[in-house]
Amino acid sequence: MVNITINGQSIQAEAGQTVLQAAQAHGIEVPTLCYHKDLNPTGNCRMCIVEVKGGRFLQAACVTPVWEGMEIQTHSEKVTKDRKLTLELMLANHPQDCITCDVSGECELQDLAYEYKASAPEWGSKGTRYPVNSDPNPFIRVDMNRCILCRRCVSACAEIQVRDVWGVAKRGFDEIIVAGAGTTMLEARCESCGQCMAYCPTGALSNKMNYGTARAHQVTKVTTTCSYCGVGCQFDLLVKNKKVIGVQSNPNSPVNGMALCVKGRYGYDYIHHPERLTKPKVRRYLLEGKKKPVISEQWAVDSGQWDWVETEWDKALDIVADKLATTRKNYGADSIGVLTSAKCTNEENYLMNKLARQVIGTNNIDHCARL
Amino acid sequence: MSNSMDDVAKEAKAFFIIGSNTTEQHPVFGAMLRQAVRQRGAKLVVADPRKIDITEFATLHLRHRPGTDIALINGLMYIILEKGWENKSFIDERTENFDQFKATVMNYPPDVVAKTTNVPVEKLYEAAEIIAQNSPMAVIWAMGITQHIVGVRNVMDLANLQMLLGNMGKAGGGVNPLRGQNNVQGACDMGGLPNVYTAYQPVTSEEVREKFARAWGLDSGPRTVDGKTVRGLSSTVGATVTEMVPGILEGKTHALYVLGEDPVMSDPDTKHIRHCFESIDFLVLQEIFPSETAAYADVLLPGVTFAEKTGTFTNTERRVQMVRKAIPTQGDARDDWWITCQIAKRLLAGTSDRVRSDAPYSGWDYVDSSAIMSEINALTPSYGGITHARLEAGERLQWPCPTLEHPGTPVLHTKQFTRGKGKFMPIDHVPPAEKPDDDYPMLMSTGRVLYHWHGGQMTRRAKGLMEVYGEALIEVNPNDAEKMGLIAKSFVRVTSRRGNISAQAWVTDRVPPGMVYANFHFPNASANELTHASLDPVAKIPEYKIVAVKVELA
Amino acid sequence: MTNKKIVYKPVDPEIEELALHHGGTQEATLEVLKDLDAKNNLNSVTITETARALHLPAHEAYGMATFYSMLSLEERKKVLRVCDGPVCWLKKASNQLSVNSEWQNKVGEDFTVERTSCLGLCDRAPAVLVEDEQAGPVEAQNAAKVCEGWRGVQTDYSTPRKGEVRVMTALIGKVNPDEIESALEHGLYDGLKKALQSDPTAVLAEVESSGLQGRGGAGFPVGRKWRFVASEKRTPRYIVCNADESEPLIFKDRVLMDTNPHQLLEGITIAGYACGASEAWIYIRGEYEYQARRLERAIEQAEAKNLLGENILGSSFSFKIHVHRGAGAYICGEETALIESLEGKRGEPRLRPPYPPTYGFRGQPTAVNNVESFCAVPHIVKNGAEWWRNLTDDPTPGTKVYMVLGHVKNPGLFEAPFGLTLREIINDFGGGMLPGSTFNFALCGGAAGTIVPPALVDAHIDYSSGPLKGVTRDIKAMEKRWTQVISMGAGSFLICDQTVSPVAFLRELLHFFAAESCGKCTPCRVGTWRSLEILNRLVSGQGQQGDTDELKTLAVLMQDSSFCGLGQSVPIPMKSVLTHFGAEFAKAELVK
Repeated sequence: MVNITINGQSIQAEAGQTVLQAAQAHGIEVPTLCYHKDLNPTGNCRMCIVEVKGGRFLQAACVTPVWEGMEIQTHSEKVTKDRKLTLELMLANHPQDCITCDVSGECELQDLAYEYKASAPEWGSKGTRYPVNSDPNPFIRVDMNRCILCRRCVSACAEIQVRDVWGVAKRGFDEIIVAGAGTTMLEARCESCGQCMAYCPTGALSNKMNYGTARAHQVTKVTTTCSYCGVGCQFDLLVKNKKVIGVQSNPNSPVNGMALCVKGRYGYDYIHHPERLTKPKVRRYLLEGKKKPVISEQWAVDSGQWDWVETEWDKALDIVADKLATTRKNYGADSIGVLTSAKCTNEENYLMNKLARQVIGTNNIDHCARL
Repeated sequence: MSNSMDDVAKEAKAFFIIGSNTTEQHPVFGAMLRQAVRQRGAKLVVADPRKIDITEFATLHLRHRPGTDIALINGLMYIILEKGWENKSFIDERTENFDQFKATVMNYPPDVVAKTTNVPVEKLYEAAEIIAQNSPMAVIWAMGITQHIVGVRNVMDLANLQMLLGNMGKAGGGVNPLRGQNNVQGACDMGGLPNVYTAYQPVTSEEVREKFARAWGLDSGPRTVDGKTVRGLSSTVGATVTEMVPGILEGKTHALYVLGEDPVMSDPDTKHIRHCFESIDFLVLQEIFPSETAAYADVLLPGVTFAEKTGTFTNTERRVQMVRKAIPTQGDARDDWWITCQIAKRLLAGTSDRVRSDAPYSGWDYVDSSAIMSEINALTPSYGGITHARLEAGERLQWPCPTLEHPGTPVLHTKQFTRGKGKFMPIDHVPPAEKPDDDYPMLMSTGRVLYHWHGGQMTRRAKGLMEVYGEALIEVNPNDAEKMGLIAKSFVRVTSRRGNISAQAWVTDRVPPGMVYANFHFPNASANELTHASLDPVAKIPEYKIVAVKVELA
Repeated sequence: MTNKKIVYKPVDPEIEELALHHGGTQEATLEVLKDLDAKNNLNSVTITETARALHLPAHEAYGMATFYSMLSLEERKKVLRVCDGPVCWLKKASNQLSVNSEWQNKVGEDFTVERTSCLGLCDRAPAVLVEDEQAGPVEAQNAAKVCEGWRGVQTDYSTPRKGEVRVMTALIGKVNPDEIESALEHGLYDGLKKALQSDPTAVLAEVESSGLQGRGGAGFPVGRKWRFVASEKRTPRYIVCNADESEPLIFKDRVLMDTNPHQLLEGITIAGYACGASEAWIYIRGEYEYQARRLERAIEQAEAKNLLGENILGSSFSFKIHVHRGAGAYICGEETALIESLEGKRGEPRLRPPYPPTYGFRGQPTAVNNVESFCAVPHIVKNGAEWWRNLTDDPTPGTKVYMVLGHVKNPGLFEAPFGLTLREIINDFGGGMLPGSTFNFALCGGAAGTIVPPALVDAHIDYSSGPLKGVTRDIKAMEKRWTQVISMGAGSFLICDQTVSPVAFLRELLHFFAAESCGKCTPCRVGTWRSLEILNRLVSGQGQQGDTDELKTLAVLMQDSSFCGLGQSVPIPMKSVLTHFGAEFAKAELVK
């Protein structure tokens, strides 16, 4: 244990902790931008600077370890003044387009600018430095004008996805985040997992799929489990007007944290696909009480007997029950097979198991575990 | 998985990935493994005929000949024994049948194995040293191990390896099959298998049948009422999917109730599958899309997507997690559990003599999915304590979790195996079912790609995914491509003894010479047109990974 | 399966071979990129191939290619780099942009003219770099001659000035830098021989007790740094020689390497012995190609004489020295950025702690010292710590290589003990102000030094900008010290007369810093750029009320909040000039 004081409050910090960790552990808020708890701190944005007694310079809390007897001021006049100035320097190179920006309302830069009453200096934002929506990636919208060079995308790609697509190019005022050797993301071997987007504190990297569909405050979030592979990632479905308009990382997910894959994060639009089945359908022959046509024969089509007819639920269910009952009567319970689903819930699978065994009386139940 | 992804990724000193394209099929876990290699220097041995993406991170890549997994594993174990790297105390205390097993392994000296597997002797030694000298070591596999006629034997041999090294029952070790589907684990746990009820309670056990009979209000076997035989719970093991569908033509299967499955895309030998479905008496399909199988259905019942339902999924590490309804059901679609209940009720109404209504769980009136879970809790020992209420309260539960107080079980077999002592099984190499010949000189392996999902019903309807990967691509080695006069973007025709497909070639050294790789995401060029239904005798899993084909310019 | 855009293709064999030739690891990145650049073949495709050949992410190689100013993705012919440093500016007193076009018009079709930050040829100003050959003083009107191979006039330091005490520069003009026989005749490597006869701890103790302070500018005790390295248990340990002399006004290391390369090699080798290190790298700025070759020659000769290599002189000590060329980045003079660059990355400073003695090159214990520091070492070992301390009465022991530039009669380089004042530097060593020139101000130390007015000509010069033992770390107290003493920095003094506007002069400095800021942290990246913007305005007569205040505010921010020494020290000249010449700035604000 290390004894320190923060803003006059005596605190016992753990040895090896950073000032930021010690402060956060005691509920003392220090603003951050380039820092994210999942990523190795880089200390480059300088928002989390604090005053350490006896120190020659202000220290970035995210990378400064605590030491015995350290006296820290997190919100001294000097510190808040410098933070505001640093924000202004960022805003000077950031479009003043919050009003049309898709991440307005969930932008960390916006929040801090508001908190520190920082606005873009009159000399700033002299126009667009980079092309807007500059990458053809179908999922991730890139607008480097909004980038504050915090490099969280670079770290997320290197440390979470371990794919190393994003990097830093040029230097000084011309510094810019690039994919690969200044190519498109896909050419730079991007797997489109969207980790960069999830960690971006501004609108530099945002969701292209739902661009312009909703503001943060118009969206309801529902935490759920992914429908693709067996890893069991969790995330929030973003819902507006009863439609799923996106997927967002939920940092509390037990397995995956903020991480998702391309299918989990961006493969959700099938939910509202126009081909969704929304009404029970039965073949015409069933409604007309006719014999099932031989479907490999042209007659099945020509006669219309094999056509789909939409019906009410009761009708469809009655037909199903009737057919299954007849089959069982004629050929025995084991002439019926039940294929349950590795895509459905435990509860639904349990019922299929119960249906096969209790109701039909067969053990002919399986699913695609083998395939 | 005997272990959890978290402990495997964080604590294993080494990984042995065999038959898992982890970064494409389980991308988030794949990324966790990449982190382990990059950030804490974990060693990684990948055994795979293909140069899959994760081999970039491998300490060593063994590019063994398809279908020689057992020879490879036995060869590694031979070296481990030769060097004295086995965990003797673990073998003594926790296992049995070691001597018999060892006698078999001794038939796999490195020079012989090198010939069988095409892996050089020195690489075998290198691999054995990495996996044996770094403990704990986790074995990770997926369908590349199981989709063989020797799938079960492959798995047993990997279990041998982990027992030999004493890697069972500890964090960072274990046998870790990665389950493909979001809830394939749950479907198995819930009795979606022909031989077991929930939690793998065998249908052949009188005691188990008795239990379910009491709960569901019927008898544990046939009984006679008024001179008529009333069927109770069946004691015969049922048919697997790979038996049920072909059973149509044999007159065994007359009707199928299919929930959210697409056999036309996902089952082997598509032509044959279509032929079977053309002949079925009655097929009811409960689906969200008009899938390829829907063409053969007599009734289509619209179910809902995961975004429209509440319930639970169980992931590959036995973790049960909530699925929450985010939007109303689309159109006149209904909750899948509701539909099943409706069918059940209607059927039961016609056979009221069979099920007694006074039993605790005989009925089908559930108010919601949480009520179904309560019934599961009562009848499923490993799920006894996993309730919606606990999950909603934020508890993180992995089965077995037998009681409401139980915290769940992240690592299995820490003290002993389910059967007590772990039994070493002597396993011999068996060549694959289908061998190349003059007519079909090349091998094809099948699988999925990062951007698509299984039969592709969902991902082919996701715009962005289609933009990145919008058509089937067949991986062809540059040497073979040159021989055929293929250039990038050429189309190839791949023909097996069962059919042929044409698709664009993707010339890449990911596949070794003599091998092609195809996926089954796209109906117009599905690999399953070519696959065959040679099954593992125990698991009835088809040998998707080895198909003899010929490849020509299309 | 990344995606369908990725087409299988083996690595370009030519680039693969280049990569292997340079070692095949990330550390070879810069060399491969430089080779490609030399072939005018640096582009997205070849950079991606380089990355593949070296098993790197493409962005790493691209980040490098766009970071180092000597590399270019543009089509170029032969490159002629015109120095844009403040000393060259002073010599021409004209706007750099026009100078560039002036050169371009005169050099003809064969050449591409580029601006470059200070070339380290301040004593030959105005200077240019023709491909990799240094030239100066040359003016644009001599362009034709330059194109034909004329390289101006070499400076000659063989004759000491009055009052010089020569130790490190003693053999200038006497020893043949390309002949090790000559070096041996002059007693070089005697220090090493003596060191090898004693215990490494004894050598370390000797250097420690000499009180030798690092000559890069910060003045950190050399012995203490070595002790940190020697006491680390992990091996291998490394020695790195910082020869990235890129700060405007500084050229002493170039002269030391040029005139007596074996002195440096001997010092580095002794350091290796004292620290228990096995290998050393001399990180030399890319513009010093001539000096780099000379060092390589010297290393070869030393190896042939078993003064380097396995079992040096029959001892159990083996040691190798490598020469690594930079490619144009001032920030690489910062020791952690230098290490990053050596590892084949963008030269961005690392987080500290850990410091290089515990976590340096390849993560191993590493001593990074300046060329001049190493050059002093053989003499200390040979003659003893006491001798070194007795060279001066000043609290800072030993001699220093000074540079005096600007409007003095005899600009150039000299060696003298500590304890000089600015007046002595100008009058005694610089030969006094030029006729007609009155001392107006001096930039002291280096580009990141203080700008001092006439009032301070008698102030004490020492390493006061860094924390000193017993001296408070309070910034207010430090700033107060600046008004009483002058910081030695790297030991260069640019003397400006009444014709030089402090406003325009500061603009030149900020022009340099803005061009050289690595871009990692916000205050330095935007602060230097914005300061330059304001200064451009002030210089061009477009000053606005409040400009000076904004400069002051930016200076405070950069000093308080920047990530590394670069951003933290840009405000040193800014603040000092604003303090001493506030009136000039006020005047510039009002000009309309």
